[in-house]
Amino acid sequence: MEMKPESRSSATLTAGMPVVSFQAVSKDYLADGQKVRALDNLSLGIEEGEFVALVGRSGCGKSTLLNLAGAMDFPTSGRVLLDGTPTSSLNDSGLTCIRREKVGFIFQSFQLLPTLSAIENVELPLLLAGSPTGRTAAREMLGWVELAGCEDRMPHQLSGGQMQRVAIARALVHSPRVLLADEPTGNLDTTSGDMILNLLRRIATEHKTTTLMATHSLEAAAMADTIVRLRDGRVEEVLRR
Amino acid sequence: MTRLLLFFRLMVRPLFREPIRTATTVLAVALGVAVVIAIELAGDAAAGSFRSSVETLAGDSEIEVTATGGVPDDLVGKLATLPYPIRVRPRIEGFAVVTQTGESVPVIGLDLIAEAGDRMSRDWKLPDFADGSERGADLSSGVWVGRRLASKAGDQIKLQINDDTREYKVRGVLPSSAGDNAVLMDIAEAQQELSRTGRVDRILIRVPDQPSLEIWQQRLRQVLPDGVQVRPQGSGTEENRRMMAAFRWNLRILSYVALVVGAFLIYNTISVSVVRRRPEIGILRALGASRREVLAAFLCESILFGVVGALLALPLGRAMAVGAVNLLGTTVNSLYVSSQPGSINLNWRIIGLALMVGIGVAVLSAISPAREAAQVSPVEAMARGRREYILRVEKWRDLWIAVGLGIAGVAAAKIPAIDGKPLFGYLSAILFIGASALAMPALVEALLAAGTRVLTALLGVEALLASRSLKGSLRRTAVLVGALSTAVAMMTSVGIMVGSFRQTVVVWMNSQLPADIYLRPVGNPAIDRHPTISPDLADQIEKLPGVEAVDRFRSYDINYQNMPATLASAETETARYYHSSGFLSGKPDREVVAALRGGDNAIVSEPFANKHHVKAGDTLTLSLGERKVSFHVLDVFYDYASERGFVILDRDTMLKYLPDPAPTNLAVYLKPRANLAAVRREIERVSANRAVLIFSNRDIRAEAVRIFDQTFAITYALEAIAIIVAVMGVAGALLALVIDRRRELGLLRFLGAATAQIRKMILVEAGVLGLLANLAGLLLGFVLSLVLIYVINKQSFGWTIQFHWPVAVLLAALTIVYVATVLAGLYPARIATRLIPIEVVHEE
Ligand SMILES: Nc1ncnc2c1ncn2[C@@H]1O[C@H](COP(=O)(O)OP(=O)(O)O)[C@@H](O)[C@H]1O
Ligand SMILES: [Mg+2]
Repeated sequence: MEMKPESRSSATLTAGMPVVSFQAVSKDYLADGQKVRALDNLSLGIEEGEFVALVGRSGCGKSTLLNLAGAMDFPTSGRVLLDGTPTSSLNDSGLTCIRREKVGFIFQSFQLLPTLSAIENVELPLLLAGSPTGRTAAREMLGWVELAGCEDRMPHQLSGGQMQRVAIARALVHSPRVLLADEPTGNLDTTSGDMILNLLRRIATEHKTTTLMATHSLEAAAMADTIVRLRDGRVEEVLRR
Repeated sequence: MTRLLLFFRLMVRPLFREPIRTATTVLAVALGVAVVIAIELAGDAAAGSFRSSVETLAGDSEIEVTATGGVPDDLVGKLATLPYPIRVRPRIEGFAVVTQTGESVPVIGLDLIAEAGDRMSRDWKLPDFADGSERGADLSSGVWVGRRLASKAGDQIKLQINDDTREYKVRGVLPSSAGDNAVLMDIAEAQQELSRTGRVDRILIRVPDQPSLEIWQQRLRQVLPDGVQVRPQGSGTEENRRMMAAFRWNLRILSYVALVVGAFLIYNTISVSVVRRRPEIGILRALGASRREVLAAFLCESILFGVVGALLALPLGRAMAVGAVNLLGTTVNSLYVSSQPGSINLNWRIIGLALMVGIGVAVLSAISPAREAAQVSPVEAMARGRREYILRVEKWRDLWIAVGLGIAGVAAAKIPAIDGKPLFGYLSAILFIGASALAMPALVEALLAAGTRVLTALLGVEALLASRSLKGSLRRTAVLVGALSTAVAMMTSVGIMVGSFRQTVVVWMNSQLPADIYLRPVGNPAIDRHPTISPDLADQIEKLPGVEAVDRFRSYDINYQNMPATLASAETETARYYHSSGFLSGKPDREVVAALRGGDNAIVSEPFANKHHVKAGDTLTLSLGERKVSFHVLDVFYDYASERGFVILDRDTMLKYLPDPAPTNLAVYLKPRANLAAVRREIERVSANRAVLIFSNRDIRAEAVRIFDQTFAITYALEAIAIIVAVMGVAGALLALVIDRRRELGLLRFLGAATAQIRKMILVEAGVLGLLANLAGLLLGFVLSLVLIYVINKQSFGWTIQFHWPVAVLLAALTIVYVATVLAGLYPARIATRLIPIEVVHEE
């Protein structure tokens, strides 16, 4: 696998219209009255169907970047565009709409709702978006993550790898434009972790779903098309295959 | 010392981190305890007051002599001339209505000349008498009054005695030891004013210490006629107190319901804090804390809730008592004995009670969660993350226990009263409440399982999430539904009981008040006061055109088997009756009443029959005047006017023994074609100079219903407080639920939930809680209402009440509870929408 370094502060990866684009984005948090700069004048563009790995030390701003990309939060300065729409132009319900249509999330600790069965977890985004029937799509999605037959299991009856696959199915059930995964293998053993990585790879390849994955592991990063290395809230380097 | 420091750091500090939930728990305890002490204080005030009104200026005597209809004057002379060193003090005891204020005040007639010369009466002195200038002056006219009625000698005061109103000259103001509203006059004048010619109401007798009181009573009885009663002084007050015991007991029990609701909430608060702090407890255990110490820490936390709650309850309860005394006063007056509310005294007994009840309820409800905390093993400190610990709910075991308790409840309901107290009735109610609490997890789960689909179809995905989350924390949900449903059950059961009672009374009145117009002297009605109407007024009315007949009703206060009762007579020949039967035997009224005439026959009311175990065919011996007379009990009649019980004779029979012809009430029957309004005007004309009230048939019914409603006003107040406590608990618990589930709520935002959806979800949760509680509460309330109507009420008061669903009242009440519950979800819902999802979902 060949990786070639690009310029440290590259504005865009390609010339085409990016699905997610960060334009001079800074994000400050207030922690105990002190300003913490999580992202520092960061610019980045991500192409349709691209599988991007975000790597860097803990605290370098990976999760913050994912949250901004997922329209969960606003930048302190700069602009974040999702499919061409700047998130800062939207109000709370506008953001909710974007999230419903365009974004799927996966978390390190799976985050399934413990009181819902596997299939109910998967169909939840569709139901929240007001679509009356999600069963078929959810079932298909569970089949795709190789969990057919586990539909009615409750989360506590599933293994970690199975839970993360349910989470992936849930993140994809509404066919989002962008899949955001925050350390998806962090809580998994190697075997389950590899399976999840393979799934993510296939998602980008087969579904053409743009995927942004924060990770610690080099192995995970190696699966990606592009590796973005962050340091102290800035892009340190971008490696493209 | 280090223990205390640790307790403060580990147990008290966390309470401040959640001020709202801590506050609602403390407030729930405070309200529950406040209600208990308010009822206690109000009961004390009511019970203390009739002593002051009857016993005014009673002095220190040991024995009292009384007789129904009064003790003849000549017996006073007879007693005074006995060769014993005793002091004989005859008294007239009546009441007057102060025209200006409408207040009823005691009128006491004493032999002032004798009292003035009496060096033995140490406890009071009339100022005038000490003054030599007044000696020999005319003491036989004018009155001495309490300081509330007049400020100085020489004032005039207008008093209505029986149906007559007159101005009296104030001769002096009584010292405060005589009460602040008594009216004192010379005995001769009192006899005349109160039409007690030749009789006195009570003779108080002071006897030497030796020999014993029993021997003195014996000696006096020997010289007095049969019908005259010789008792220790103040027996009447004691009897009144005893008579009210059942009433106070029931009120007390009712007041504890808010506390039970509070107990659910303490249980919930401590459970939640144990669940949240499992890892922390694990760490402490790993660092060397023993199980016992963990248990003690949580119990101490509950004691803290109890103490703070109880201390808050004291001022709150005192304030509530003021309202309760007013509500109680009406009930006591119309059902038991005339009284004025006494003062409310926050004494050490009450403070002790508050602390005991507060700490008791807190510790009892904390035992189970505290034991759970003690079971946490040190290993849990190592458990990764702060995953919600799934509370084990042994719902099947609990359900079986519930069934057992239910069966025990049914059995307890069948056991008769002990010493006039429906102890097993209370037990039965407690068992049913316990059964309902234990059945709750199974019931809630079944209902949620059945209802989720429907709710989701109706309300969408938020309802699915809401009912799943309720089911997910089943124990918490069950406790909340338990608390709220207990409050609802209380409201429903008392509502059904009162509604049934009211309906029964209305139906009964329709068959009981056949006359067209009723008259009684002006004044607030009280069951033990029998002001009279001049006999000639009755005669005048009888002669009016349009009047067919007048029934002269006369009642006396009597004492039967050391319990007060009312003896009354009616003109059975005049009275008309409805076709229905008012008798337990089911015989037509006309037949029973006809049999009452001629001979010593009587009918008794149902409460009287129950209290004294009298039934048709028995013989009843009453002291009338100087004689003891045996009456044949013909039948028992339904009566809801008084709990103390009625004995009714024919007027001629009564006059044979008690010859005073003055009636206490008149019932006027009109000629078939007569014009009611015209006759009423005529009656008003002839009674113009008499202080009488005239009621049409409709008025008197409305008045009766009004008194009835006033009587039960206090129960509504108690219910309202229990509901407030429960709703407050729901708000606090939902808030806790929101805080505990903040991660989940944040996640929903990531999955595309709008804030409105989060809010809707919490409100649906509140709504489902309310719905479950209403359902369970209605069910439990129905069962409890059966216990109340057929066991507790029957055993304590002796009334037969027909079951009746007060549909409109219940619907309105349930709707209010439901709306209140949903509103209780508003604040937690707002908190839920304000959570910042990023902070709660991502982890390091
Ligand atoms: N909600 C927050 N409040 C305050 N500081 C935050 C918050 N979220 C993240 N930070 C800070 O911002 C920086 C970047 O955090 P994050 O994006 O979570 O990094 P990563 O995911 O790479 O570990 C860190 O220094 C972190 O402490
Ligand atoms: Mg992170």
